[in-house]
Amino acid sequence: MRYSKNTVTKRRRGASPFFLFVAPALLIVGFILIYPIVYAVALSFTDRTLLYLGTTKFVGLANYSEMLRDRNFWHSLWLQLGFIAVALPIELVIGFFVAILFNREFPLSKLLKSLLMLPVFVLPVLSGLTWRLMLQPGYGVLASFFKVLSLGPPAWLADMTYAYIAVLLQDIWRMWPFMFMIIYAGLSSMPSEYIEAAHIDGANFFQRLYYVIVPYLSPVLATAFLLRLIDALRIFSEVYVMTYGGPSNATMLLSLYINKQAFEFGRISYASTIAVFLLVVSLALSYFAVKRGMRGEAT
Amino acid sequence: MKKTIVAWVVLISALVIVAVELFPITVIIFNGFKRDIDIWSKNPFYFKPTLMSYKNIFSNQDFVRSLKSSMIVASLSTIVSVIFGAMASYGLVRFNFKVNTLIVFILLMLRMVPQMTLALPFYVLFRTFNMNDNVFGLSLAHISFNLPYVVALLLPFFASIPKEFEEAAKVDGCTSMGIFWRIFLPLASAGIVVATVFAFLLSWNEFIYGLVRTESRDKTAPVAVNAFLGQYAPLWGQLSAAGTIMLLPVFAITLGLQRYIIKGLSAGGIKG
Repeated sequence: MRYSKNTVTKRRRGASPFFLFVAPALLIVGFILIYPIVYAVALSFTDRTLLYLGTTKFVGLANYSEMLRDRNFWHSLWLQLGFIAVALPIELVIGFFVAILFNREFPLSKLLKSLLMLPVFVLPVLSGLTWRLMLQPGYGVLASFFKVLSLGPPAWLADMTYAYIAVLLQDIWRMWPFMFMIIYAGLSSMPSEYIEAAHIDGANFFQRLYYVIVPYLSPVLATAFLLRLIDALRIFSEVYVMTYGGPSNATMLLSLYINKQAFEFGRISYASTIAVFLLVVSLALSYFAVKRGMRGEAT
Repeated sequence: MKKTIVAWVVLISALVIVAVELFPITVIIFNGFKRDIDIWSKNPFYFKPTLMSYKNIFSNQDFVRSLKSSMIVASLSTIVSVIFGAMASYGLVRFNFKVNTLIVFILLMLRMVPQMTLALPFYVLFRTFNMNDNVFGLSLAHISFNLPYVVALLLPFFASIPKEFEEAAKVDGCTSMGIFWRIFLPLASAGIVVATVFAFLLSWNEFIYGLVRTESRDKTAPVAVNAFLGQYAPLWGQLSAAGTIMLLPVFAITLGLQRYIIKGLSAGGIKG
């Protein structure tokens, strides 16, 4: 994707029509993205509370040093990293193998493929609530199923470990089709000669996988993983409605902790500090994602 | 012989996978047609259909109102994002300036900003300007993710459109705005439709910005759906019915636009 270089104009054009087209969007972006971001950074250097009683004092890096000493912050950070480290590879692997399964013609394949995409577009809130319903002890369908298998405690969402597992399962259920779709698109653009050549050389399924398919797909896999990584960093709604961060902080991922500090404890300045931390990590990752995309390595 | 066996194995495993994926969605749809008392019964598969929950949610003023708010917010933010996003994408693709790369880079990066990071300053700022209580503040908040998204989606789309027609129109003395509206947009209509539909869906599904202003009377529908959890006993039947209604555009879009789903997704369309 070369956005700018493919439009070499012979005559020099004035800047005015260009700004006529681009300036409104830039104004909006400045107003509702750049300014709020700057505002959040500014808040993180103050002691402002939500109620805003009295005056706001500049407190320098006090919020940041508090963050580094805050055990709950580190707890949330580890939960977040664990969530990413477990959910994403599983989503990638399932998506990969299902993409290989679907990479051929069979009856209903088109319909089934689009049905697979439904969970990705289900509203996150509804997905979380559905899992909450399914896991209700006594009448939830998943809870009954796990009871028959005697898997875990009767009330998953009331158990610290199993609530976390439930959050992971919910995300894996919802998001592996995202990996599937991107990998499938990459796979279907692969020249069939590659596989045929491997066949002729007598490679078995796993050899074809390891020596042909994975190397060919690796840029696609990296892009899919990066997009999901940025997305998984900011997960909030599903977990909020499923567990509200509980029981006793067992699922208090970063965005939930920020929300709690801001709107439950009213500490909007400290919440902004953690939010700025999250922003910096997200922007650093998206820098790589955008760079890959603009080099044309994206799907 | 081996070939037909493989074909059957593939078909059956695909069917099983799809059934597992769709199961939670069917749980919601079926529970919307059950009475709460039956949902709470020991047998989750007991099913005696009734429209009770649907009657209840549509006589519930709060929910009907929230559907309306969601519609307004999604439409407003989509229209603004698509118009200005399309103009910006056109400018970035068709005019060759050194700053273009930088602008594109910044816009594409900004679509990755976590909503929670923006929710805090939005809350404080909108309160200052008295906008927490109306749909305009919320629409602005939704434009903050929809505008960069629309640009990310349209840039590659626009870059692939040949410019002969525009050049011809230019020779005929058409202004650059005229060229954009009358010549370019009709050529790009497929991209515009896709951007509109996905931007609408993003806004329709959004929860965080709607949540942090819950004291507002203008709740959005996702917040209202969550409210059916109630303080004492969850009203699962009504929650499921309301959820099913929220899913209608999702079904229509996923099944209707499957050709474009990859483009929509790789523009960074998923929101937590």
